[in-house]
Amino acid sequence: MDTGNDRTENGPPTKSADYLWDGSGEPDPEIQRLEALLGKFRQDRAAPVFPEMVGYRRWRFFPWRMRLFPALATTAVALAAIIVVTFLVYGGKPTPTTEAGWDVSRVEGTPRIGRNVISGQEGTSRLGIGQVLETDRQSRASLQADDIGQIKVDPSTRLRLLNMGSGLKRIALDRGTIHTYIWAPPGQFVVDTPSAITVDLGCAYTLQVDDSGAGMVRTSLGWVGFKLNGHESFIPAGAACATRPKVGPGTPYFEDASARFRAASTRLDFEDSTPQQRAGDLAIVLGEARKRDALTLWHLLARADEGQRVLIYDRLRQLAPPPAGVTKEGILRLDQPMLDLWWNELGFDDISVWRHWERSWAGTAAPVREK
Amino acid sequence: MARSGDRGDLLAAGLAPRPVRQQSASEISEDATWVGAARDGDRTAFGQLYQRYSRMVHGVLLAKVPVGEVDDLVQDVFMRALRRLSTLRETGSFGAWLTAIARNVANDYHRRSVPEDPLTDGASENEIMGGMSRADHDEPAAAVLHAVMSLPDAYRETLILRLVEGMSGPEIAARTGMTHGSVRVNLHRGMEQLRAKLSPEPSRNVPKQEKSSHGHGER
Repeated sequence: MDTGNDRTENGPPTKSADYLWDGSGEPDPEIQRLEALLGKFRQDRAAPVFPEMVGYRRWRFFPWRMRLFPALATTAVALAAIIVVTFLVYGGKPTPTTEAGWDVSRVEGTPRIGRNVISGQEGTSRLGIGQVLETDRQSRASLQADDIGQIKVDPSTRLRLLNMGSGLKRIALDRGTIHTYIWAPPGQFVVDTPSAITVDLGCAYTLQVDDSGAGMVRTSLGWVGFKLNGHESFIPAGAACATRPKVGPGTPYFEDASARFRAASTRLDFEDSTPQQRAGDLAIVLGEARKRDALTLWHLLARADEGQRVLIYDRLRQLAPPPAGVTKEGILRLDQPMLDLWWNELGFDDISVWRHWERSWAGTAAPVREK
Repeated sequence: MARSGDRGDLLAAGLAPRPVRQQSASEISEDATWVGAARDGDRTAFGQLYQRYSRMVHGVLLAKVPVGEVDDLVQDVFMRALRRLSTLRETGSFGAWLTAIARNVANDYHRRSVPEDPLTDGASENEIMGGMSRADHDEPAAAVLHAVMSLPDAYRETLILRLVEGMSGPEIAARTGMTHGSVRVNLHRGMEQLRAKLSPEPSRNVPKQEKSSHGHGER
């Protein structure tokens, strides 16, 4: 399987893979040739002279100056207060705030924060904690927070800002579609939906929620975690995963898997089928699975009954042999460290990021319902 | 999922998951110190950040804009970062934040330019080399760079950081904020596709072109 882990089948990393990774091991002549050729484009310009900056500490002089000019300071403060009050009362604009929040830009139409329309030439505002951003069928908006990322908001979407604290950046998507590109550290940006919470693990993804509360996440870069009711799903780039109210996230699948595979996987996740129908659907999934569909099979292990789990184990073992330390007995009893070890061998990403998130967010992983 | 088994046993057996980040605690701490000092107006501290991150910024831009434009845009990225340094709350995430600024600057460049399409599969060698003098134009190097530029975004950027800027995989992860696993996957799969593209027999072993958005964890 092409796991991307630079390993030979059941063996150690290859020498050329070592060289590609960190320059160690036996040099690969082709990589050396490419390095020599491409090295001429390397950055070689000296550091520019950066302009003099006004540091924060300089503002410490401000109170001192205020004391020197008390009348001027008092007048300035009074004028500022009058301007602010006038603006708030008559401005008809969203409440300006310097508190933690997302900068919101109007892209199209008339998105609203609460009852305030974001319009006009500038078309910008700020979404504060507890505020609601809504777009109608003709509106789009864009959110940005410099240390978190960007969110593009499609028409007919409603989202709320729940939290912006250090290490905790959380919004709720009640309905509609958002496209996120997150650069905050993995595990810090969370989106609540009515049927699961979505945890950014270093990625760009699209999240949709329909009026029933059902959701769908599609990952384009990195990977996403989806969690509810003890069900957890990891969705790497190129994969998608549905979620349903009261059920939680289904089994993720690569979008280029066969239509039969995807349909059978969805039925296994969400339909109240007879045992015979479930057996038939599982046979389709196992039969149609390609190497990269180990993603789906790994997730199915924890969702299947014991009898089905044996079948899934056998097929997954063919597609991606388990690493040392992982036994059949361990997997059949859903031993978490063994499952995690096997996941790491699939080459999607390191599951310890998620486990760290689970520990640090213990007790807060339930979606926040609107009051 | 069930939660059983003793993680300690796995640690003892050396089987615990690999560390995700390769940036050392001391580097993160240094970054935070330099960011704090730069916010207070210390140009030397900002210069230290430039020394540490300029190759990364150069590589990220080279993956998206013509070669001849990159040096000026590197300066734009650092100037933009300097102006917005006060908005960075997680000082330990300076690298990931700077990477995002670099990508935004590249996007802005394409929004200002005609044609608007970023440098991907459709870009000609001349477009990629745009702004370079003929004397600088090394045909074999340009041909290889052109092949790299035709790879999906994430592979392209990671390979450029490795092959052009000479950064190691762990260093790429540390500087860009990508996970260790993502960089490894991008390098491995990107190299595989690059080898196929540079193969003398184009019909042989050419993997199916993935969507440009594929790849792991651009951050």
